[in-house]
Amino acid sequence: MIPMALAISAIIFFASRLSPIDPLNSLISPDAAADPTNLAILRERLGFNDPIFVQYFNWLIEMFKGNFGYSIQTGQPISEILALRMPATLELILSALVISTTLALAIGLFAGANRGGITDKFSRGLAAVGIAVPDFFIGLALLNILAYRLNWLPTGQRLSPGQITLWDRLPHLILPVATLSIAMLAVLIRYTRNSVLDTLNRDFVKTARSKGLPEWKVMWSHVFRNSLGPVMVILAFRLPLLVGGSVLVETVFQWPGIGSTVVAAVTVSDFPVIMVISLLIATAILIASFLVDIVKSILDPRVRLGATTE
Amino acid sequence: MIEKAPSTARLLVTNFVRNTTGMIGLFIVFLIVTSSIFAVQISGYEPTLMDGSVASLPPSTTHLMGTDQLGQDVFSRVLYGGRNSVLIGVLASFLGNFIGTVFGAIAGYVGGKFDTILIRLSELVMTFPQLVLVLIFVTFLGQGVTNVIFIFAITGWMTTFRLVRSEFLSLREEAFVEADRAFGFSKKRIIFRHLLPNTMSPIVVAFTINTAIYIIAEAGLSFLGLGVPVTTPTWGNLLAAAQAPVVVEQYWWLWVFPALAIIVFVTGVNFIGDGLRDVLDPRQRTRSNTTSFKSAIKEKILGSREKKA
Repeated sequence: MIPMALAISAIIFFASRLSPIDPLNSLISPDAAADPTNLAILRERLGFNDPIFVQYFNWLIEMFKGNFGYSIQTGQPISEILALRMPATLELILSALVISTTLALAIGLFAGANRGGITDKFSRGLAAVGIAVPDFFIGLALLNILAYRLNWLPTGQRLSPGQITLWDRLPHLILPVATLSIAMLAVLIRYTRNSVLDTLNRDFVKTARSKGLPEWKVMWSHVFRNSLGPVMVILAFRLPLLVGGSVLVETVFQWPGIGSTVVAAVTVSDFPVIMVISLLIATAILIASFLVDIVKSILDPRVRLGATTE
Repeated sequence: MIEKAPSTARLLVTNFVRNTTGMIGLFIVFLIVTSSIFAVQISGYEPTLMDGSVASLPPSTTHLMGTDQLGQDVFSRVLYGGRNSVLIGVLASFLGNFIGTVFGAIAGYVGGKFDTILIRLSELVMTFPQLVLVLIFVTFLGQGVTNVIFIFAITGWMTTFRLVRSEFLSLREEAFVEADRAFGFSKKRIIFRHLLPNTMSPIVVAFTINTAIYIIAEAGLSFLGLGVPVTTPTWGNLLAAAQAPVVVEQYWWLWVFPALAIIVFVTGVNFIGDGLRDVLDPRQRTRSNTTSFKSAIKEKILGSREKKA
C-alpha cells in the first residue's frame, strides 16, 4: 500500500510539473504573486531551483502537512475547498455504500436461498438490465418522476435556504443516494447470489443440515458468513466505480461535493485542484481496500494480511 | 471420395447462428448500426436542420421523438448520434484490447521483471476510478473523438491484460509449447503464432464487453460536457441537454430517447458477448444453446427455471 501511494504521488507530481501552468502560481496566494521581484525571491525560497527529486519530497511533506496550494481559478486555498466539499461527498458515498451493501447482501442471500423464486428472478432481471443503464440516467428518471412530477422530494442541492438540521437534510440526500445505490446494486446482488449458491453446495452445509440445525441457523451462521468473502473482494473492486459514479450523480443533483469540483476544475483546466483531488481519491481508495482486506481476514482466519495480494 | 470435415470457423458460425441470445443481440446491433447509417433516410430529417417553428415539441407522428429547443428532429439526431457513439465504443475497445493483449502476452510468457512492472502498472491504473482518470487525461490532451478513444484505451486495458496474462501463464506449460521451444522457434513466433490463437476466445468476449462499457463511459463523459465536442452528435452529447434542470423537468424526450438507445444497444452488445462466450468457451457453457426465442428472452430477464437445489 505504501509503495503504491508513493508511486501515485510521484506520477501526480511529475504530471503537474508537465502541465503548462507555472507551479509557483498554485503555491502562493494571488496577492503575493502580483510583484515580479517578489516572485523571483519566492521561487528561490520555495525551492523551485532545487533538483526535481528534492522538490518532489518537499512537495510530499507539504501535502502531508495539509498545505495543498491554491486554486488557479478562484485563488482559494485548496484545503479550504476540500474542507467545504469533502463532507458532502463522504455523506453521499458512505450512505450509498452502506445501503447498497446491506440491501445487496439481504436480497442476494434471499435470492440464493430461494433459487428460482420471485426474488431470484427479480434480482437476475435487475442484473441483466442494470449493467446496460448509465447510472446518471437513473438519477434523471428519479428526478423527473419523484421530484418534478410528484413533488415528493427536492430537486437537488444539499440544503434549501434556511435549513440546517439533519432532519432537513435527509430529503435532499434520498435521491442521490438512491441513484448511486441502484447503480451499485445490480452487480453486488448477482455476486452475493452466486456466492451463496456456491456455499450452499459445500459439504459443511450438508453436515450442518444433517445435524438437524434449523434452516435459518444454517443460512445465517454457515452459509451467509462464508459467502461474504468473495462479495468483499467485489466490493473492493467496485469502490473506484462508486467514486466515479458520484462524479456523475453530483452533477445531476447539483450536489456541492468533490465530484462537481473536479468537473468544474477540468472544465477550466485548474491543474492544482485536479492534482490534489486525484491524489486524495487514490489515497482514499488505497486505504479503503486496505480496510476491506482487514475485514476479510476477520471473516476468514485463513486469509492472512499481506497474503491477499498477488 | 471422402467428405471434408467442416472447418472450425464454419462450426463456430453454425453454433453462433443456433445460439438464440447471440442472434438476438446481433439483430439489435445490426438494426441500430444500419439505421444510424441511414439516419437521414429513416427519420426524414437532417440531424442538423433547425426549424424554429417546431422548437421543443413533444413526440408526435411528424417527429417521432419530438424536437429540441432549436427545432432539430430528435429521432434523426439519436440515429445519427449512434454513428459516433458506436464508433468510439468499438475503436476504444479494440485499441484497449490490443494494448492489453500485447502486454498480457509478453508479461505472461516472458515473466520476470517485465511481468512485475506491468502488474504493478495495472494495479496503479486500477486504483483510480476510471472516470476520474479519464478526466485527468482530458485536461492534458483536450477533447475530441480521437482523444477520447485514446484515453479510454489507455485507462481500460487492464482487464484484458490480466485475462491474457493468466491464460498465457497456464498455456506456456503445455506440451505443444515445449515442442515449439524444442524446435527452436523464436519467442515472438511462439507467442504470436502459437499461443495467441489459443487465447482468442476470452479476448473476443472481452472486446464485446468493453465495447458496451465504453459506450456507457462516453455517455457519462459527454454528459459532463467533457467528452466529444458538442458539434459532433453522440448519444452522450444528446444526453448532456439534461444538464439543464428545465430539460429534466419538461423536455423528457430530449434525454429519455438517447438513453434508451444506449440501453438497447448495450444490451444487444452484451447478448452478443454472452452468445460468443457460449460458442467459444464450451467449459463455461451452462445449457444447450438451441433454445427458443421466447424462452431465451425469458431466461435473460427472469432467470433460468432450474429446480430448487
